[in-house]
Amino acid sequence: MNTRRSLLQFLGGSLAASFVPWRALADGTVATSEDFFIFIHASGGWDVMLSTDPRNTRTGLIEPPSTGNMTKTGIRLWTDAPLGDGTSSFQPVQPKGSNIVFGPAIGNMANYASRMTLFNGLAMNTVSHPDGTIFAATGRHLAGGRVPASSVDTIIASELGTSQLLPVVSIRFPSYAIDGIDPRAIPLKVDSIGAIGRVLTRSTKYSSAASRDAVTLMLSEEARDLAKEAFYPEPQQNFGLQLDALRGILAGNLKDAFTDATLKAKYPSFSYTGNSQSVGAINSAFALEAMQRNILRCASFTFSGFDTHTTNYDDHAASQQDMFDTIAEFIKQLDTIPHPTKTGKKLADHTHVLIISEFCRTPQINILGGRDHYPNNSAIIVSPKFKGNTVIGSSDKDQLLPVASRAFASGTRAPAPPDILSTLLSSAGIEPSTFVRDGEVMKEVLV
Amino acid sequence: MRNTIACSFFFAVLIESGCTKTPEPTKAVAVSGKVEDLPGHESLRVDNSHKEGPRTLSAESYIRSYLFLFGGLSPIDSQTALRGSGATVDTTLFDTWSDYLGALGMPDYREDIARSSQTNALMIAAFERIGVALCDRAAEHDLKNGATPATVFTFKKTAALPTRAEFDERFDGLHRRFLGYPAKLAPTDRSSRFFTLLTNASGATTDPTIRLTGQDAGWTAVCYGLIRHPEFHLY
Repeated sequence: MNTRRSLLQFLGGSLAASFVPWRALADGTVATSEDFFIFIHASGGWDVMLSTDPRNTRTGLIEPPSTGNMTKTGIRLWTDAPLGDGTSSFQPVQPKGSNIVFGPAIGNMANYASRMTLFNGLAMNTVSHPDGTIFAATGRHLAGGRVPASSVDTIIASELGTSQLLPVVSIRFPSYAIDGIDPRAIPLKVDSIGAIGRVLTRSTKYSSAASRDAVTLMLSEEARDLAKEAFYPEPQQNFGLQLDALRGILAGNLKDAFTDATLKAKYPSFSYTGNSQSVGAINSAFALEAMQRNILRCASFTFSGFDTHTTNYDDHAASQQDMFDTIAEFIKQLDTIPHPTKTGKKLADHTHVLIISEFCRTPQINILGGRDHYPNNSAIIVSPKFKGNTVIGSSDKDQLLPVASRAFASGTRAPAPPDILSTLLSSAGIEPSTFVRDGEVMKEVLV
Repeated sequence: MRNTIACSFFFAVLIESGCTKTPEPTKAVAVSGKVEDLPGHESLRVDNSHKEGPRTLSAESYIRSYLFLFGGLSPIDSQTALRGSGATVDTTLFDTWSDYLGALGMPDYREDIARSSQTNALMIAAFERIGVALCDRAAEHDLKNGATPATVFTFKKTAALPTRAEFDERFDGLHRRFLGYPAKLAPTDRSSRFFTLLTNASGATTDPTIRLTGQDAGWTAVCYGLIRHPEFHLY
């Protein structure tokens, strides 16, 4: 009996240790970084033909974006390319000196082609929103309804961000903590940035901050003592660590910094009105502010409005242009704002941006005038650790499907999200195989 | 024809019954209370091992518990009460329930946002924000104004700060209400910790703008500790 109990206690202890980040287990140190990571999800499935993988002729299955199926009004880079039936598609956009050819909805992001690593023809193997979203963010498909792996933002926050007050803030991004994730890096999920300010606001009319802090401290001690008594100590330990984190967050008096009004006033160059992606603009402003204050490691957020199955496809190009303009403004700000700890460096020197979507849209127009889900995709990385002006992968000209274009260890195939996530983790100094089961690092894109 | 078939079947059953052997008397079963003493269960073992550790409840359960513990109002009525009215209005105390749904881990199926199954620091902050608002309003109602019926603080306040014995008696009632079992069975030295909390909070407030002072502030701090307790949130 004693032997059995000892074994169970040992197993309990092992479970308690399971939240320790893998890096810390490996070398006994608490890893950190002075880099920042931004993850952007174009929610709904974007039409890559309008921006990252342009098509402007009728070939095979492809009915290109044209004045016959969408509105070109307001799309600044649109120049007509007649299709011969009275309608016009667009002239491809190739920035001077760039290897990358874009569609007109790329907007101001075309200015950053030299810093952009573009992945085209990604094999998604799904046309389901939840599955594609999870696959793009974790590198694994759903197992039934279950998310089987942690998302890339959470992995990086766990490995490099636990010393930060906010290891990862997730605003409607598919962030998941599954295995080997430090409890402090469990994503802080919110509906909007304003919610952070509201959740952190405390009335001063009923109790003092010191009195409330004493309660939090006492509860932290309670959680730790309960963990000592518990068969499964991990949840109580996590609770205690998160109570400690809350004390730090409240002491930082962040509530005023993270309201919509404050952020709009401090970052007026973003377009907050007349922009279908104004929420994304506020989220971008939040990320800049949190990076400047050096309290963040990862920010993950979503741009929406891309699931255009019907005549709402009319607005798809404008939605993409608004998103890419916002991201371009974000990068422009990164170029000007000093890094909080690296003297003489800008935020751009240490910030890595990954832009994903769950899949792309069909090359055909459906009977409702929109485009449905299609198992191809693109992704964009803007990072000082990645080679800019680079395109990896492609889709075939007749069907817009991924082409087996790169030699991987398992043979020639199309790149897929696990490969991108593995490469990004590798660039951050994290062993990708620990977290991403199927990916392979694409060394040729790393600086 | 149908009657003929039915009668034939009836007689067949009767004959079959008559041919059946008389059953042997059943052996008496000793009732020991142990499963393995039951016939056919000699080789079975009862699996008493723990199957799953504590976990968070759904956000709906928290909200329903808050509403139940603090007066049983509907969500919209409780929202109005928490924001206050007239001289007691304080919009910094509470906004609307919908401001906290995401932070509490509620799913949003319109956006394919899944339910959160793990706590995080911002969720803990939301627990504090809501718990503080609920306790403050309850203390204002029950302790400061002495309104009846009391919602949470149903005990009689002592004239001076309670002694340890007086505290234990009152704390036990609150502990049973929030955490569902007697305080003396708690696995930690909980009563001592909360008594210290009450004592310190009662004496700490000298700010004249703060509405709850002295013993009222102390009991409010105790309420904060219980509504935000790990045992309240982890099931």
